[in-house]
Amino acid sequence: MKKIKSQLIYNLKKDKGSYISFGIVVLITAIMLNLAFVLLFQVDKAYDDKFNELNTAAINVTVPKLQNTDALLNDIKSLNGVDDAECREAVFAEAVVKDFRATDFSMNTLFYNKDESRNMNKLDIKEEKTGMTENSIYLPLYVASFGEFGLNDEIVYEIGDTKHTFKVSGIVEEMQYGNYGKGLMGAYLPKEVYEKFSDEYSEQTVVEYSIMTNGDINALQNDISDLLEEKGITMLTSCDRISTKDTRTMVCNLIILVLSAFAIIILFVSVFLCKFRISNSIEEDMVNMGVLKALGYTGNMIIAGVVLPYLMVTVFASLLGVAVSYAVLPGLGELLTLQAGFSFGLDFDIKGLICVVAILAVIVLFFTYTAAKRIRKLQPINAIRGNSEGKSAKKNYFPLDETKGKTKLLLVMKQTFSNGKQNILLFGVSFVLTILVAFASTMFYNVIIEPDNFISTLSEEMPQIIVSPVEQYEDVISDELKSNSEIKSVLKYTVGTVNIDDMPVTVFACEDFSRVSNDLCYLGENPDEKNEIALGSAFEEKYKIGDRIEIQNGDIPCSYEVTGFVQSVNYQGNVCEFSLDGYEALNSEKLVPTLYVYLNNASDTEKIIDEIEQSYSDKIVSTMNYQKMTETTQEMYSGITSVIVVVIFILTILIVLFVLYIVIKTLLVQRKQELGIYKAIGYSNKQLMVQMIGSFLPSSVVAVLLSSVLGLIYVPQINQLIFQTIGAMKNNMEVSFAFLMIFAFVQITANLIISILLTKPIKKISAYALIKEG
Amino acid sequence: MSAMKEVLISAKNLKKEFRTGETSQTIFENLDLDIYKGDFTIIMGASGAGKSTLMYSLSGMDRPTSGSIVFSGKEITKYNDDELAVFKRKNCGFVFQQIYLLEKMSLMDNVLTAGALCSDNKKEVIQRAKELFELVNIPEITQKKFSTQVSGGEAQRAGIVRAVINKPSVVFADEPTGALNSNNSEAVLNVFTKLHREGQSIIMVTHDKKTALRGNRVLYVRDGQIFGDCNLGNYVETDNERERKLDEFLTEMGW
Ligand SMILES: Nc1ncnc2c1ncn2[C@@H]1O[C@H](COP(=O)(O)OP(=O)(O)OP(=O)(O)O)[C@@H](O)[C@H]1O
Ligand SMILES: [Mg+2]
Repeated sequence: MKKIKSQLIYNLKKDKGSYISFGIVVLITAIMLNLAFVLLFQVDKAYDDKFNELNTAAINVTVPKLQNTDALLNDIKSLNGVDDAECREAVFAEAVVKDFRATDFSMNTLFYNKDESRNMNKLDIKEEKTGMTENSIYLPLYVASFGEFGLNDEIVYEIGDTKHTFKVSGIVEEMQYGNYGKGLMGAYLPKEVYEKFSDEYSEQTVVEYSIMTNGDINALQNDISDLLEEKGITMLTSCDRISTKDTRTMVCNLIILVLSAFAIIILFVSVFLCKFRISNSIEEDMVNMGVLKALGYTGNMIIAGVVLPYLMVTVFASLLGVAVSYAVLPGLGELLTLQAGFSFGLDFDIKGLICVVAILAVIVLFFTYTAAKRIRKLQPINAIRGNSEGKSAKKNYFPLDETKGKTKLLLVMKQTFSNGKQNILLFGVSFVLTILVAFASTMFYNVIIEPDNFISTLSEEMPQIIVSPVEQYEDVISDELKSNSEIKSVLKYTVGTVNIDDMPVTVFACEDFSRVSNDLCYLGENPDEKNEIALGSAFEEKYKIGDRIEIQNGDIPCSYEVTGFVQSVNYQGNVCEFSLDGYEALNSEKLVPTLYVYLNNASDTEKIIDEIEQSYSDKIVSTMNYQKMTETTQEMYSGITSVIVVVIFILTILIVLFVLYIVIKTLLVQRKQELGIYKAIGYSNKQLMVQMIGSFLPSSVVAVLLSSVLGLIYVPQINQLIFQTIGAMKNNMEVSFAFLMIFAFVQITANLIISILLTKPIKKISAYALIKEG
Repeated sequence: MSAMKEVLISAKNLKKEFRTGETSQTIFENLDLDIYKGDFTIIMGASGAGKSTLMYSLSGMDRPTSGSIVFSGKEITKYNDDELAVFKRKNCGFVFQQIYLLEKMSLMDNVLTAGALCSDNKKEVIQRAKELFELVNIPEITQKKFSTQVSGGEAQRAGIVRAVINKPSVVFADEPTGALNSNNSEAVLNVFTKLHREGQSIIMVTHDKKTALRGNRVLYVRDGQIFGDCNLGNYVETDNERERKLDEFLTEMGW
C-alpha cells in the first residue's frame, strides 16, 4: 500500500495542471448532473406533497348558481369513482388585473369567501397582515410574486367597466389552479368583503364542486360533464389535477430537461476527455511503468497507481460539484417558485449525490481500467525500449525518401498519421465539444437573441395590438389599417370557448391561418372551410385527420371535419381552431371578430394604439397592448430560462477552454522528447510550433466543422425531445447556421490560441533539458 | 603546440551554475578553452564533473550562465533562440548516448528530417544520406526500419549519419558508445575515425580509455576547470606509444 501511495503521489504531482483541469471538467459535470437530479427527484414530489397537504381536489368544476340544484352534490358524490365532494360559492369574473408586473393582465378570476370553512382546496396562509379593512384581499402566491404585489399593496381588478381596488392583506398558497396560462386564478376575500362583492355580482355567482378521486380522472370528468349535460347545466370552468400540474410545473420541467440535456452532453465530453487523458497518460508513462515492472512491481500495483489519482480527483471533484450545486439550488428554487406558484425548499438529496458520484466514478474507472489493462500484459523490456504497442508506429507513413513533396510538409503529415489513434480521440473530443457548443449557443440564440422563437413555441398568436371593433366596422377598420405603412398586417382573429365532448375547450378562430405569425399546426392542416376544424394535441388519441366531429353550442349542432392537430402548451392541448365562418356557425349571435394588428416595428405599439384610438374612437370597443402582455409572458417564461441558458453558455465556454487545455497539454507533454530531439537537430521554435499545431489542428478543425454542420440535424432533434416532453409537438427554435459557424470559428480560434500559449514554454526550455526530461 | 591550427571554438571566462530551488551548484567557473578545427577532441573526467554540461554549452544546446563563446568567428552567446537554432543546424551535429532517434519514423526519415533543414534539394540530400548509410554499413533494408526495431549499434550509426548529414563544422558526441556492447562500439568508433580522417572536427565525451585513443587531443575536466590537456597525435590502430602516453596523462590527472 505504501508503495502504491508513493507512486500515486508521484503521478499526481507530475502533472498537476492536467489533473486540476480534469477535476474542473468533472466538477462542472457534477454540478449540472446534481442540479438535474435534485430537481428531478424533488420538484415533482414537493408538488405532490403540497397538493396532498392542502387536501386539494382532483377535479374542480364550476356551474352558474342560477342553474345549480341542491341535489347536484349528492348526484356527484354518487358517481362512480368519487371518493368525496364538497361545494362552495364563488364569483366568477373576467377580470383585468391592473399593473400586474407593469402591465394589464386579463385573468379570469374566481373570488371566494376566504373565511368559509373548507375541507378541500385548503389555503396555506404564507403571509398575513393583522387587522382587516373593508377591501382586504388574499392573493395566491403566484399572483403576488409574479405580479409583484406585496402585503399592503393595492391591487385593482377591472371587471367590465368597474374598477375594484383591494388591499393585499395576505398571501396564500393553493394547489387548485394552474399558472396564468390556464387563464383561471383564484382570489380570496374576507367574509364581509366577499358578501358585499357577491351582492354586486349575484348574476355571476357560481357554485364550485371539488371532487376527490383516486380513480381515472378523465373518465370521471366525462361522467361529470354527462351528468351536467343531462341536467341542462353549463360547465363554466373545469380544472383537474393533471393539467394543472402540467401547466404549473411546465417551466420547471423545461429547465430540468434543458439541464439534463446539458448534463448528458457534458457527460459525453467528460467520457471522451477521460478516455483521451487516461490512455495518453499511460502512454506517457510506459517507460516508467516498465522500469517499475522490472523492479518487481506487479501489474495491479502499477494499475492502481494510474487509476487511483484519477479516481481520487473524480470523487473529490464530484463531491465538490455536488456541494457547489447546493449553493446554487436555493436561488434556483426561488426562481422556480415564481413560475410554479408554490414554495418548495430543495433539500439535500443523498440519492442525487450517490448517483452523481457513482456515474462519474464508474465512467472514470471503466476508462482507466480498460486503458490500464494493457499494463498487465506489458513486458518490462518492451516498455523500457519504447516498444509498447501504440507508441511505436506500425507503419512509416509518407517515407520521406520516396514521397514527393516538401519534407517539412511531409513531416506534418507524418505526425498526423503516425499519431492516428490520438487524432481519432482528438476528433471525438472536438466533436462532442462542438455538440455542447451547438446546443448551448442555439439555446442562447433562441432565448436571448431571438426570444420570439422560444416564446412562440410556448404560446399562441402574438400580435402587437388587439382591436375590438364595434359590429359592422371590422372590415372598414381592417382595410384602413392595412394601408397604414407602419402596420405589417391585420388579421381577423377571435379567441373563445366551446364545449367539445362536453368539456370546455379554448377556440382560436381566424380568417386565414396561412397568415398567422405563429402557426400552431404540427400535423395535417389548419382549417380553411366553414366545416373544418383542427384539434388540440389533447384530442390526438381520440380523433384522426378526416374524422367528423359533432359540436353543439347552445341549440345549434354543427359537424366538422378534422383537418389537423395544433399544439398549445398553455392550454395543455385543450384547444381547437376554426375558420371564422366555422366558429360563427356555433354562435347564435353574429360574431364580431377582433383584429390582430402586426406592426413593422414593435416599439411603435403605444404610438399606433393612440392613433387607432383617436381615429376610430366611436368605431371600436377597446384596444389592447398585446405587445406588453407578450413581454410580460416572455419575462415569465424566459426570466429563469435566460438565467439558466446564460449560465449554461458560460459553463460551456469554460468547459471548452479547459478541455482544450487538457487535450493540447497532453499532446505536448507526450511529445516533449520528440520536440527536444527536433530542437537538438536544429529545428527552430517556430518550425516546431507550426509542425505541432499542424499535426493535430486539422483533425479537430474537421471535427468542429463537421459537428457544426451536423448540428443542423442533431440540435433540432435535441430540442424536439425537450419540447415534446412539455407538450410542444413542434418548436420554433431556430438553428442558425451562421451562429453555429461563428462558434465553430471561435472554438477553432480558441484551439489555436491555447496551442500557441502552451507551445510557448517549450521555447524557454533548452533542447538539452527537453531531451533529458523526456 | 597547435599554433598552426585554426581555432574553431573559443570559450572565455565561462561559468555554468545550476539552480534548484534555494541551492545553486557551480559546475565550472572562469573556464577558458580553445577547440581547433580538424581535431578529434576527447573530454574526460569523473562522473558528475561537468563534461556533458561543458560540451552542451560549447555547442549552443544549453546556455552558459556567463562568459562568451565564439564559434567560427560568431559570438553565439549573444544569439537569441531562433538565431541559435539556425546556427546550430548548420554548424553542429549531435550524437547522444541514448541515441534519441524519432520513434515514429524510419532511420532514413530520421536522417532526412535533419537534412531538410539545410537543403531544399531533396534529391541531393537523399543521395548524401544513402552514401553516409553505406559509409556506416547500414544496408537499405535496415534504413527503412524504425529505431525500435534495430540494434543499438545500428541505431547509433544512424544517429551519426543524422549528425553529419548537414556537413556540420563540429560533431558533438556524448558517450556515443556508452550504451553499446564492444562489437557495436567498435563499429561506431570506426565511423568516427573515418569521419575524422576525412577532416571532420569532433568533440566527444567518454569514460573509456580505448575510446579516448581515437582522439588526437584529450581534455580532462576537474574542479570546474580544464585540469589537463594532452596531445596524443592522430589515431593509429597499433600504436602502443599513444596508449602509454594516455595512461600516463590519466594517472597524473588522478583518473
Ligand atoms: N539540469 C540540471 N539541474 C541541476 N543540476 C544539474 C543539471 N544538469 C546537470 N546538473 C549537475 O551538474 C553536474 C554535472 O553534470 P554533467 O551531466 O555535466 O556531468 P558529467 O560530467 O557529464 O557526468 P557523467 O560522466 O556522469 O555523464 C552534476 O553534478 C549534475 O548533478
Ligand atoms: Mg555526461
